[in-house]
Amino acid sequence: MFDPVPWLILLPLAWGCLTFLAGIGRGGRLVVAGLIIQLVLTIILARQIVMEGARHYAVGGWGAPLGVDLYVDGLTGIMLLLTHVVALPLVVYARAYFSSQAEGASYFWPLTCFLLAAMNVLFMSADIFNIYVTLELLGLAAVGLVAAAGSAGSVTAAIRYLLVTLLGSGAYLMGVALLYGTYGSVSLAVLEPLLATTEISAAACLAAMLMLAGLLLKTALFPFHFWLPPAHGGAPAPVSALLSALVIKASFYLILRLWFDLFAPLVTTQAAQLLGGLGAAAILWGSILAFNQTRLKMLVAYSTVAQIGYLFLLFPLMTSAIPGAAESAMQGGVMQLVAHALAKAAMFAAAGVMVLSAGKDDIALLGGMSSHLPLTLFTFALAGITLMGLPPSGGFIAKWLLIDSAVSGGQWGWVVVMILGGLLSAAYVFKVLRQAFLPPVAGIKFKPVIRMLEWPAFLLALISLLLGFRSVEVLNLLGAA
Amino acid sequence: MRNLLNVLVIVLSAALGLVLIGVILESPSPARVRLSEEVLMQIGASGVTHPVTAVLLNFRGYDTLLEVMVLLLALLGVLAQMGKQKRENPPAGFYLTEPRMQVLLWLARVLVPLMVLVAGYLLWAGGHQPGGAFQAGAVLAAAGVLLNLSGLLPSWMEPAWNLRAGLVSGLLVFLLIAAAVMTTASPGLLLQYPPASAGMLILLVETGLTLSLGLILAGLFLFLSGDAIDEEADK
Repeated sequence: MFDPVPWLILLPLAWGCLTFLAGIGRGGRLVVAGLIIQLVLTIILARQIVMEGARHYAVGGWGAPLGVDLYVDGLTGIMLLLTHVVALPLVVYARAYFSSQAEGASYFWPLTCFLLAAMNVLFMSADIFNIYVTLELLGLAAVGLVAAAGSAGSVTAAIRYLLVTLLGSGAYLMGVALLYGTYGSVSLAVLEPLLATTEISAAACLAAMLMLAGLLLKTALFPFHFWLPPAHGGAPAPVSALLSALVIKASFYLILRLWFDLFAPLVTTQAAQLLGGLGAAAILWGSILAFNQTRLKMLVAYSTVAQIGYLFLLFPLMTSAIPGAAESAMQGGVMQLVAHALAKAAMFAAAGVMVLSAGKDDIALLGGMSSHLPLTLFTFALAGITLMGLPPSGGFIAKWLLIDSAVSGGQWGWVVVMILGGLLSAAYVFKVLRQAFLPPVAGIKFKPVIRMLEWPAFLLALISLLLGFRSVEVLNLLGAA
Repeated sequence: MRNLLNVLVIVLSAALGLVLIGVILESPSPARVRLSEEVLMQIGASGVTHPVTAVLLNFRGYDTLLEVMVLLLALLGVLAQMGKQKRENPPAGFYLTEPRMQVLLWLARVLVPLMVLVAGYLLWAGGHQPGGAFQAGAVLAAAGVLLNLSGLLPSWMEPAWNLRAGLVSGLLVFLLIAAAVMTTASPGLLLQYPPASAGMLILLVETGLTLSLGLILAGLFLFLSGDAIDEEADK
């Protein structure tokens, strides 16, 4: 039987090396071709997971605890598929984007390949030290992409992002060291039963706190969100889309894994309520700040801060004793992750087109955009529908499942937060749409844009909208044990 | 406000430090896995006799593969943010005119060949005693820095194709070998070296890595040193 797992690791690393070898600003075509191959491989892998269930893969044939193990299950499959479905239109978009504006193109392709390679290895890893290496790979690639824009503002944002990401992985590594010192292994498969059966040690508790805090910092959960808007809002549009859609989801994925597997014996209901509370604060505060922005890309970046909040509502909802409630909370959380990744990639890509055409990142200058770039504005609106959670979008299914779980679990407070969050996101989406339908500001001339900039973004928005119809397949894959 | 924040950070760090000390003094779990014994048990099948090399290049060779990519990424980050900065290639003989530099020049010319020799020895020694690609690469990089500081080697500008090839060749060799052992062997797992040829394959990987790591580490200095000299010259 053909096994796609090792190829999903080797191929993106090879593309990264080869595009660097190809030279500055070159290699885009190779990346598009490579991503098509990888998308096929992830589809094969997802089918295998649905048919045969989750499995371990022993790199080097040694097996844990001596070697490094990989682990793929339904959630891994969803994350890998999502990464490639989002990244493929985005690299097509990036080729068009950098042909109209060369700023930030120089090392975009190798950095993007390494970023995608880092995501693949992170999602499949079952070894906490190996996860640390993947976090460094992901963080450095992301910082490099932010810095590549070259302006003073983006370098400042990149340095702040670098410090935050190093602090986060430093805390994580300290936790890994504590666990290794106490239990003598870094393999999840070995550590899980050890933590579950032996008496809970102070070292394990401290390790859990450090590792989760580090990952929360990287996920930019309120109040750790301060670094995200300048880094995501200041980068070139394809980079913003990659970072906002995918990179923060990677550290969230790790929180999900650690919380419910390794640290399941340690976490308490109060801790889950705290995460939910921070998530609720992120939804409200992020939405309000998004509404107050005057720059389009900053608005979209603050909307990411708000949308991350929904993901963390699943932690208190999962503590519910009613079995159906916990299940739909998990499904809703994962659905929100997928829907937001697609919609936010589309939204940032569309915002990038509008900024490119207007020549300046300012919401007040968007007047007349409705007649100049109708497709791009439509894309923005479709992505907005997912963020607001209107049917039939994936965002609707996600919020429906979360609200359903909150109602059946009797945790009414979260329902109020989610409805308020939906209204607030409608407010900031309509702020942009309203401006775009106003007559053009005197003296502004829109530059024409090439079609290949508009269609990939539209495709992403369309997928996020139609996800609602295919959510059963996604949830089936999630359930494959 | 800023002072308050500083005090908060200091208090938090101190608290974390104290808790850490307390936790570390706690005795390790009795159910601890004895990993070092397992390493010594399996070392015969690893192709090398030094346990550190066995762990780095064979048992956890996957981590090493990713770590060398991290080093290349660090260099990419440096190159990306240099972007369009105007940089001038400082003349190679910048220091040569200073008479008091003659001792340094002489020393550099004597030391660099020796350093290359030491790097080769460290690479070879890694199989059975402390050493290996990372140490050898670091020595090579240090030789490059020494040459640059003494004015014999100009700082690097935007890398041309030959430098780019050198920077990634070792990593590509690693990837190729990883793919080759997977497709040719019968169980075919990633980075699963057949025990009979493991020693030879590991030496091959390490040789490639020594060259690339040496260039990457040297690059982290040499790509940036051009700026520093320029600024000083401007003053």
